Amino acid sequence: MSVGGGAGGAPSAIDAKKLRIYGLVGSVVGIYLAAILNSALNTTLFSFVGAVASIFAVVMGANAVRRVCGYGIGTGVPSIGMLALGMGIIATMFGLSVAEAMGFGLLGPIIALVYAMVFGYIIGVIANKVIKFNIPVMEEGNADLSAAGTMAILGWSFAISGSLSYDAIVTNVLMTGYIAIIFIAGGLAILHPFNACLGPDEKQDRTLVNGIMIGGLAMVATGIAAISTQGLASGLLLTVIGFIVWYYFFMWYYRLTKRDASAVVGTGLLPPSAQ
Amino acid sequence: MDAFSMGLVAAMGALATVAGASEDIESDIGSQSNPNSQVQLAAQVGNPHRIYNKAISGEPPANALWAATAAIVAYMLITAFQMPAFSALVIGASVAALFNGVFSMSSYFGRNASQARFNQWIYLDIVRYTTPSIMAHAWITSFCIATISYIMAYMLPTPHPFPMPIIALIWGLAVGAIGSSVGDIHYGGEREFQNRAFGCGLNTMLSGNIVRKAEAGLRNSVDNAWFCTKFGGPATGMGFGLTVFLDNWRSTVFDPVTQAPYAIAMGIFFIIVMTLYANYVEKSARRKYGPYPEYKGDVAA
Amino acid sequence: MNFDINTIVYLLEIIVGGLLVGIGVHFVPVGGAPAAMAQATGIGTGTVQLAAGSGLTGLLAAGLMMSVTDNIWVILASGAVGAGIMIDATMLTGSWIYAYAVGAPFASAKVTYDPITGWSQPPYISPGTVGQGIPTICFVSGTIGGMMGGLGGAMIYYPLYLINGNAALSAMFAIGIFLVNAVLASWNIQGTIEGFHDPKFKKWPFAFRACAVASVLLAIAAVMITGGA
Repeated sequence: MSVGGGAGGAPSAIDAKKLRIYGLVGSVVGIYLAAILNSALNTTLFSFVGAVASIFAVVMGANAVRRVCGYGIGTGVPSIGMLALGMGIIATMFGLSVAEAMGFGLLGPIIALVYAMVFGYIIGVIANKVIKFNIPVMEEGNADLSAAGTMAILGWSFAISGSLSYDAIVTNVLMTGYIAIIFIAGGLAILHPFNACLGPDEKQDRTLVNGIMIGGLAMVATGIAAISTQGLASGLLLTVIGFIVWYYFFMWYYRLTKRDASAVVGTGLLPPSAQ
Repeated sequence: MDAFSMGLVAAMGALATVAGASEDIESDIGSQSNPNSQVQLAAQVGNPHRIYNKAISGEPPANALWAATAAIVAYMLITAFQMPAFSALVIGASVAALFNGVFSMSSYFGRNASQARFNQWIYLDIVRYTTPSIMAHAWITSFCIATISYIMAYMLPTPHPFPMPIIALIWGLAVGAIGSSVGDIHYGGEREFQNRAFGCGLNTMLSGNIVRKAEAGLRNSVDNAWFCTKFGGPATGMGFGLTVFLDNWRSTVFDPVTQAPYAIAMGIFFIIVMTLYANYVEKSARRKYGPYPEYKGDVAA
Repeated sequence: MNFDINTIVYLLEIIVGGLLVGIGVHFVPVGGAPAAMAQATGIGTGTVQLAAGSGLTGLLAAGLMMSVTDNIWVILASGAVGAGIMIDATMLTGSWIYAYAVGAPFASAKVTYDPITGWSQPPYISPGTVGQGIPTICFVSGTIGGMMGGLGGAMIYYPLYLINGNAALSAMFAIGIFLVNAVLASWNIQGTIEGFHDPKFKKWPFAFRACAVASVLLAIAAVMITGGA
């Protein structure tokens, strides 16, 4: 919503393709790993792996927001984050429900991901062709965003329910209303990094570190929710790991801020150039 | 309808009014949402400042996050530990306030660091004394909204079918939308630009030329809260209070099962009354202020 | 799920709901960031945010109605009225700020005379701006837009609830479909619009097409989802 200098074309140190592969592989592998560990060992302690997997997706999404919004879309950064989560929630439930109906519950994340990416790509095509944005990265950006939103919702939903079964997710995440925090915290984790670092001197590493930090915060929230669905041990484990992730990356973010800012001062008047 | 549920609706209206007011003041202290574009621009046109720069997305998603956080924590404590609702809501709001603090600081650091080439410094004392007062207002907002959601989900005679956190999410979005449409104008249209003549919109030439000095020393964001509390905050509270109160009043006074058409007709009546009132406000503003003297066209006033 | 004639009706309801949201957004007078500085006509916030705020308030009202009745007209009307109350309360209190705190008369820069009241606009436009405040024409347009948004939200929620019988799931879905359509529509108007008298309003067919494609895809996914346990 706030208008600031766009980073036109957004120079980046880490290639978007690389980040996309990290994000997709990291989140899918993480969610499956967590699901298999949980069901094989008959516990819910490994739910945190699913939550960590979501952070990979968030980083990918934050980078996609950065690429698309670098061109200036006229309605501010928040709208695109809301779009990502709007697509994500449908894709997630669609994937899980269809996989369950077909009898392959474990296929859920893959179906969700495919639907999300196709849908996101189509939204990107519509935006360029019908609404005439003519932003070159719109299609892939939207596919990435949609995928990121889906995997973020899926990972954190898994972290709360402790199982990939559709019924468990509906009962533990939807009916309790914990989906609300996943929805909005996931959305902010994707849109906040670029929005918070908007400006001509925005740097990719600082933005992405911010994304991981907010992802850690969302883990804390899912951990709190998980206390009531999976018991104290799994919930607290999730909360503590989330807190550690948050703290580590917050300090890192602060270091990067000190690196990039023109000055970080304890107190003082206006800079001498502008008295 | 009985006296108890009427009391609940009144309490919800009161809580909503408080929530709206504190939401607006929170966003003014942090300089969030639309008026922040001028704070952002100020450094770029050569006016570095000591005003907080809290760009946590738009207000609606941000407030939805605080409200949803408070609601899930409270819901978790109520369902898992059978904690009394009041203490659960207090703890929930406290967690939401902590989240708010993290987001606020990360935006202040991020936005200002991204303006390094304009020589916009990051002042740690601002972070230290402004963030807690932002968090305090976020606490009030999220506590009130989580309480409204709790009342709607569990206490009204017709309990709402949505789970409490989803109700909180929706009211959070609504309070943010109202706060950024109502109260922010007082901050952006008046407080940021007290250096120009009263009674006009912001001339495009003055963009970014925000007031940076206070009565003594440099203006900071807590001064802005002092100003906006006088009108912007209460008006926002009025807006959100009206929304929550009127919406629930009509479905509580008229039983939704048997008297639904009356409830809808009542709502349409409210809409018509508000339209007429807005028309009156427009007419009185035109009559009292008159046309701008600079106007040179040939359309008669 | 069983595919029968009802499914097609549900699909159509969701699609029409999505389109109503998409078109309704065009009616809401939003001035974006400049309006918050009394620099442009309209409500001083973003399109998506305001549409979501009002439409979802309508969704709350519709959801409450749906829990006690299954009369579609009552539910749809509740959604529309709930959203209308929210957007009217917002615009009314916003008008107070423009009139009594900023001290500026309301004026639209897109028309010379307000089509509803017939009042002249240019003499009241503050120098160096493109209008300010919420004149009657914008207010009426905003009311229509908000009510369309609420109607659309309720229309998405109603069939979903009939399919899966799960209020929470249907609500989140309605929010998701609502947001996708609102964002597409707000991209179409590039952030700011004054209402149905604005020349930009003529761009609505683009949003109609975009929202139609998006709604069809979302609706097909949404009707295939079961209510779970």
